[in-house]
Amino acid sequence: MATDTAPLSRAATFRTDDTVARVRRVRTRRRMRAADLMVVAVWLSVAVAISLWLAYGGMNQVTDPASAITALGIVTGLVGTDLILVMLVLAARIPAIDRVFGQDRAMALHRRLGRPALSLILAHAALLTVGYAMSDGSNVVAETIGFLQSKDLLLAYLGFGLLVAVVVTSLVAVRRRFSYEAWHLIHLLSYLAVLVAVPHQLSAGGVLAEGTGQRVYWLALYVLAFGSIGVFRFLVPMIRSARHGIRVAGVEQVAPGVVSLHLTGRNLDRLHTAGGQYAIWRFWTGATWWHAHPISFSAVPTATTARITVRDLGRGSAAIGRVRPGARVSIEGPYGVFTDAHRVAPKLAVVAAGIGITPIRSLLEHSPLSPGEATVVLRGTDSTQSYLWSEIGALPSMRGNTVYTMLGARPPGLATWMSAEALSRGVTITSAFPDLLRSDLYVCGPQAWTDLVIRDARAAGLREAQIHVERFDW
Amino acid sequence: MRARATILGALSSIAVFAVGWQLGADGQQSETTTSDTAAGSAPTSTVTPSADAGSSTATPAPTPSASASETTTSAVSGTFTGTSVHTRFGDVQVQITVQDGILSDVTALQLTDQDSRSVSISNRAAPILRQEVLSAQSANVHSVSGATYTSNAYLTSLQSALDQAGL
Repeated sequence: MATDTAPLSRAATFRTDDTVARVRRVRTRRRMRAADLMVVAVWLSVAVAISLWLAYGGMNQVTDPASAITALGIVTGLVGTDLILVMLVLAARIPAIDRVFGQDRAMALHRRLGRPALSLILAHAALLTVGYAMSDGSNVVAETIGFLQSKDLLLAYLGFGLLVAVVVTSLVAVRRRFSYEAWHLIHLLSYLAVLVAVPHQLSAGGVLAEGTGQRVYWLALYVLAFGSIGVFRFLVPMIRSARHGIRVAGVEQVAPGVVSLHLTGRNLDRLHTAGGQYAIWRFWTGATWWHAHPISFSAVPTATTARITVRDLGRGSAAIGRVRPGARVSIEGPYGVFTDAHRVAPKLAVVAAGIGITPIRSLLEHSPLSPGEATVVLRGTDSTQSYLWSEIGALPSMRGNTVYTMLGARPPGLATWMSAEALSRGVTITSAFPDLLRSDLYVCGPQAWTDLVIRDARAAGLREAQIHVERFDW
Repeated sequence: MRARATILGALSSIAVFAVGWQLGADGQQSETTTSDTAAGSAPTSTVTPSADAGSSTATPAPTPSASASETTTSAVSGTFTGTSVHTRFGDVQVQITVQDGILSDVTALQLTDQDSRSVSISNRAAPILRQEVLSAQSANVHSVSGATYTSNAYLTSLQSALDQAGL
């Protein structure tokens, strides 16, 4: 239905407010439709998994308690496996999903599905053991020993054990005990866990029997899930990294513990990076090659240069500050929905704190803003956190727009995102942003602080669609 | 928008369930229909005892009965081995004993035995099938639920044995 193809964020040719509003409406509608379709697709995949069993004639086999338990065991296995494949798709960084939801929301859903999926697989194993034992008139121990005689089922048990390890190490309480690298290594086992469970799905039971449509569909799901991971997590980043030949050109200390990395490469403009996006970077030096970091662009890349700014939040990111010029860099991305393309409202309200300035800087640089459209609040505890601030006011797009700075500590014992000083002057989110309800609010900063900004915005009556957040803690 | 996705998701899921259900019901129906026609055609087939059984494992021992005068059909006696039927859970083959044109016993020579599960399923199904077949005097019986593969193969092998016996 919509025919506009002009990339609004790149060309400021549409400048009348009406046109901008219309383009945004069309874009938003299209994005909402895509989002709904993806949600429906997840629902449908679960429904189809159950229907595979229905179409097999599963209902006709339910005649007594034993067969009912067995049937439930088959269905939980199908649905649980379907959810695991959905989780793989969510983690595959498929561009369409990133554009519509953003990788952080996709991963939030991925995390939420973990425990239900594991529970279903657990139920699958337990119910089938009990169901079989009941119909055979034996007990679960004898039945389990019988299962273990089969090579395929032995593999399935192995896969289940791996899944338990993956999910348990991902529980918040447990995950803290592991380094990111150890956790990630264990997490990679989930690929193996999913694959070793395949043989028993195809050989035991009748739902996925040879020559059935069910089998074709099921294998297609696996191809889709593993194919998208192979393509978007491995192939595309490798090709991109090779094609652009990115290297570190210079390391610039912009504040204590904060460095800007100046990068060079070929045709970097063809990454089509939108202001506000990030990429996952890997620096090929002895101390850093084993860990990739998500870091935002602090400026929109030109054809040959790019700049990212990073604060040493951990062991790994501190080592990045010591990377020497000339080091090779590989890139996954760019990713992220913290961009002008996701705007829905006529005005723009921006709050940034600390290293959160990074995507804000490139977002504002890339936004075609009219005078009076944007209000920016830059927040820091002290002047060591005011890096890149001077660049904001100097951006061409910020001409005629307002930048406030709010320096100072928060009042002790009070849950607020503002400084004690601003609070005592009676500043509120609506006094800082008089047009808040007609604005898109972009917030980037430490998680707890960000949550407080959002709390105030919601309390002021801002709609969810107008709240844009970049999470930095994953 | 979330509501729209939920409603759409729920509706399309229901549609998918309906299709799945229908396919399941259709499959069951066509299965019974085919077995009906297969069994129905059996009595009309030739009654001459066939010594030229296709199966090499067959042991045709047709001995025309002396008491054949009572009926117009020639009553046969002997044992007949059905063809071996392959399933994804193992091969199935049965042998029948016929006495004076009456099916007196069915022995399973081989049953689905791919794994312990298959063995326990066929051990459960075989006595039920034998009982039903003996009382129906044909392969036109219902398959045992939960043992579809075993039942279908059992009855197919049985039918071929019955054909050899001319029953």
